[in-house]
Amino acid sequence: MSENILTIEKPRLEAINLTKRYRDGVLALDNISFSVQPGEIFVMLGGNGAGKTTTINLFLNFIEPTEGEARIDGIITHKDPLAAKERVSFVSENVMLYGDFTAVQNLDYFSRIGGQSEYTKDDYRDALLRVNLAEEAHHKKLRGFSKGMRQKCGIAIAILKGAPAILLDEPTSGLDPKAGHDFIHLLKSLQKEGKSILMSTHDIFRAKAIADTIAIMNNGRIIMLKKSSELAGCNLEELYMQYMTGHDGQRLAG
Amino acid sequence: MLKVIVEKEIREILGSVKFVITFGACAVLILLSFYIGAANHKANVEQYNAAKAENTRQMEGLTSWMSLEQHRIFLPPQPLAALVTGSSNDVGRTIDVHRRSELAAVDSKFNEDPIYAVFRFLDLTFIFQIVLSLFAIMLGYDAICGEKERGTLRLSFANPVPRATYILGKLLGSFITLVTALLIAILLSCLILPLLGVSLTGDEWIRLAAIIGTGLLYFGVFLTLSVFVSSRTHRTSSAFLALLVIWVVSVLIVPRSATLLAGRAVDVPSIDELAAQKTSFSRQLWTEYRDAMGSFSAPKDIDPHDMMTHFNKFMDSLSTEREAKMKVFSDRLNEDRFNRQVVQQKFAFNVARVSPAASMNLAAANLAGTSIGLKNRFHETAMEYRKVFGDFIREKTGMNLGGGMIYVEINDDGEKPDPIDPSELPVYTYSPKPLMASFSAAFVDIGILALFNLIFFVGAFVSFIRYDVR
Amino acid sequence: MLITLIEKELKAILQSPKFVATFAVCSLLMLLSVFIGIKEFQAQQKQYDVAVSLSEQGIQESTSWRGMSYKAYRKPDPMQIFVSGLTNDIGRWSHISQESSVKLRNSVYSDDPIFSVFRFIDFAFIVQVVLSLFAILFTYDAICGERENGTLKLLFSNAIKRSHYIIAKCVGSWLGLVVPIMIPILLSVLMVIAFGISLEGSDWLKLFGLMSMSIFLFTFFIVLGVFISSLTRRSNISFLFALVIWVTFVLIIPRAGVMAAGQILPVPRVAEIEGQRDAFAKDKWAIFNEKSMARWDSYNQNTSEDSDSSCGSNFVFDENELWEHMQKEDSARKIVEREIEAYETRLQEDLQQRKSGQERLAFSLSRFSPSSAYQLAAMTLAGTDINLKSRNIEVMNNYRTQFNNYVDNKISETNDLSGVFMIEISSDDGVKMNNKRDEQTIDASDMPKYIPAKSSMRQSIDALIIDGGLLGLFIILAFAGAFLRMQKYDVR
Repeated sequence: MSENILTIEKPRLEAINLTKRYRDGVLALDNISFSVQPGEIFVMLGGNGAGKTTTINLFLNFIEPTEGEARIDGIITHKDPLAAKERVSFVSENVMLYGDFTAVQNLDYFSRIGGQSEYTKDDYRDALLRVNLAEEAHHKKLRGFSKGMRQKCGIAIAILKGAPAILLDEPTSGLDPKAGHDFIHLLKSLQKEGKSILMSTHDIFRAKAIADTIAIMNNGRIIMLKKSSELAGCNLEELYMQYMTGHDGQRLAG
Repeated sequence: MLKVIVEKEIREILGSVKFVITFGACAVLILLSFYIGAANHKANVEQYNAAKAENTRQMEGLTSWMSLEQHRIFLPPQPLAALVTGSSNDVGRTIDVHRRSELAAVDSKFNEDPIYAVFRFLDLTFIFQIVLSLFAIMLGYDAICGEKERGTLRLSFANPVPRATYILGKLLGSFITLVTALLIAILLSCLILPLLGVSLTGDEWIRLAAIIGTGLLYFGVFLTLSVFVSSRTHRTSSAFLALLVIWVVSVLIVPRSATLLAGRAVDVPSIDELAAQKTSFSRQLWTEYRDAMGSFSAPKDIDPHDMMTHFNKFMDSLSTEREAKMKVFSDRLNEDRFNRQVVQQKFAFNVARVSPAASMNLAAANLAGTSIGLKNRFHETAMEYRKVFGDFIREKTGMNLGGGMIYVEINDDGEKPDPIDPSELPVYTYSPKPLMASFSAAFVDIGILALFNLIFFVGAFVSFIRYDVR
Repeated sequence: MLITLIEKELKAILQSPKFVATFAVCSLLMLLSVFIGIKEFQAQQKQYDVAVSLSEQGIQESTSWRGMSYKAYRKPDPMQIFVSGLTNDIGRWSHISQESSVKLRNSVYSDDPIFSVFRFIDFAFIVQVVLSLFAILFTYDAICGERENGTLKLLFSNAIKRSHYIIAKCVGSWLGLVVPIMIPILLSVLMVIAFGISLEGSDWLKLFGLMSMSIFLFTFFIVLGVFISSLTRRSNISFLFALVIWVTFVLIIPRAGVMAAGQILPVPRVAEIEGQRDAFAKDKWAIFNEKSMARWDSYNQNTSEDSDSSCGSNFVFDENELWEHMQKEDSARKIVEREIEAYETRLQEDLQQRKSGQERLAFSLSRFSPSSAYQLAAMTLAGTDINLKSRNIEVMNNYRTQFNNYVDNKISETNDLSGVFMIEISSDDGVKMNNKRDEQTIDASDMPKYIPAKSSMRQSIDALIIDGGLLGLFIILAFAGAFLRMQKYDVR
């Protein structure tokens, strides 16, 4: 695994001096740069408003950067968003999906939207089983689903798209411990398939369990960027608190 | 405890975007309806005065009351009719009373100016009927189920709050806030009337107050209904959908279709059949009286002037006799039709009263004096006036109305006779139904509205006591 | 890709629980309205048939050509089942006679004010009020609702063009709503056939036009809903806006437009016009009476000169000579009558012009709302529009001319003196009155037939082009608005 990280390939996801200032003057991202290689899991860790979701939004061209650029396979997302989006799957926090559609109908629609129109019913069943959604729920309307069940559907959609990069925005927020555990396994297996994974989370322990690279973000900046190998021995939680309070201290002083 | 809940309700409503938008739209429309009412009233008054002046001008230059060919009376525009048009645009506004035969009101506003009938009228009752009810629904549909969706209901009942107090506080709070807001808007709009120079009498102010009260009662029906529906459902979207369907059906569909279907179920002979019967009876009378007419004779050596007078008197007495018979006949027919119409109205309106919108409309029209009774009232006062007018003409000419068949004036001495003085004419005044009578006519509908309020209030109360707050 | 998107919209609508409820309500109301329309039409048709036969019977029973009068009735049009329009507001008949000018009397609403209290319910009303609400109910959250669900983000994480998305949204919702609504529309047409209402070929065309216009209006509200949903970020705010706009478009602007026009361009009241005519007539008659009196005097002088002086104070007249004099007087009277009539026509034309100016302004103002454009087109198609009155009056006026000529001819042909009282004053018998009214009824079988007015196809086509075009423009505007907004819509 560490070989993968060290080999200097063409990075799949790349943030170059990304800066985003909203119209109301809030500086949401302040000149961040990082890259994610094929087969790498990159985790952004930070509190609310740290800039994690903004980063993901920039990769999806939901917003345009004030400065810098986000690249997917070398394609600048705000120059050619459609080509960039073909190469990326997305799992958002708390997605509601279409309440009047069944799980399979939702999957079918989004797969076709994602350019995969050859899937059969079996493919959908397999995908849903892969994310551990019980089979009796496959043909039920999503309206009655719990947060966790909907999240599983969202992940299944991302898998079915089969894009080389996966962006995940707080994917574990609705999952129970068992599902969270299953989810980690799922990510690992996707990593083995060579996918590049960019994920944001609040969850320090999950981050440590799966990340190849961890970026701690605060106030729109990456304040720590380390390979998991570098963090092998240390207590990530303590480190996180250190960085956060340190930064707070700086801000107070400033 | 109640006070805390009421206060929270007031604050929540006043602070919401929803309230600002809907109330703003509501207030503008109420203002608009008063403005349009006042402007229309003024236009109607001008037309009325012009018509009256024209009527008098026609008499200019006449030298004898005998040569008066027609005399019209007009239904004076009522300021309240501009706010609650009711049937006032469908009723003929002009009656020619210079005739013996039956009176007929012609020139209804919609017949003369069909342009206004294309989209109908924008009046206060219309705004009440449509906008107040929508306003109530918009603000009440999520009263209970919305709080549940947001989770605040669980939070509230994690405290020792009795459910009865809670629902009472909710209803009271929203009712007080919204009614106060509406009252302010309505009262401000009322100021437009004096500002635009429409003056109301004390009696009319009382009526207007009662109309506004009826409107608010109607608003209350939809508010309590919304809270009731909200306490029967668990999702705001389904509460709203249900309320919207109820709204469409009860405000737009039931009153119309109920009167049409029920009205046609009662058989009322058409005016045409009546007219044909009357015509053939009158023809029959003519035949009967032809011989009598031929029997006119006068003394041999009569002066031609006196002869004409004799002849006119003779014809007049015959006509009077004939008209008396005719009147008996047509009164019987008219009364029969009228009685059937009353049955039809009772039946149709009672069916329509399933919808509070129908009750509100009927009550407001009764209070404003523009209910369907307007036609009969105008007709009755016109009949009374014709008696007075007939007496006046008899006094002036010695003839009954319409009696002079031949009038030849021979002016021997070359002197110009004095013109007649139109101001001698008896004045026609229309007075609407007295206040108490209007109130008692509106009483049933106001009672029904109050009953609806009570039913939905109790409904909301009972449903909430058993509501699943999870 | 577009197809997938459209397919999804279709499915989303058809699978939603609110669809079943609202669709059922809509269909029921549509059918109810047509049912009521049919019942109402049948009642009016029956009334019309009875009235016409009574009117003809009246002609058969009349005994004199003089003072003969016919009652011409407006014929109920089967198209009023769908759009009652002004048919209940405008008088149903007019006297056709030499004495009185054409004036429509006795509208349904003034005869039976009970039906005026809550007005009418018809197909056009349902389309205007219920169907438009139905359309908005389904599209108010088209875009902001997807944003709230998070599906918009998920969707645009794929290679989807925004323009495709918005087109699919409109087309999909359109298909999902319009196709089902065709069912009750077709059913209501079938109902008309089932109740045995006979429609002519042109009626079918008009009906087809009406249904297309209904679909147009429905389309507008669908697209409007999408547009409104692209203006807001939250669906409950969007709904609020949609409802306010709906109330304004459907209920306020049409009425307010007409009221405003009435204030801006007032039209004189009928009483004023009639007053002017009466004043004119009075002047004319005064002159006539003076002259007539003079003629009478000279006639009297002539006859008394001719008569034998030995007859003394008793004067005897020659019936033939008197008859001749009366004929002359009669023709002089006719001339005055014509003059007055011409003057009245001028007045009426002037009034008509001012009225049509007012109408144009009123309708232009109210056409700011698509639902009034629809209503106006629907009324024109059904022939129950504002021209209903003038159209009928015109036909009746033409008929009156025919009728009067016919009666005049008959009077001179038969030398009919019936209905005229003759008073004979002679020294032998004193005064005697003679009423020559015949007991025999007259034979009026060759009287010209009254053919009731029918709305023209040309006007219907004009309405289709103008208001249909206007509705098309509204649809394009709403779509363009939605399209542009979508390009910049923040999907987060």
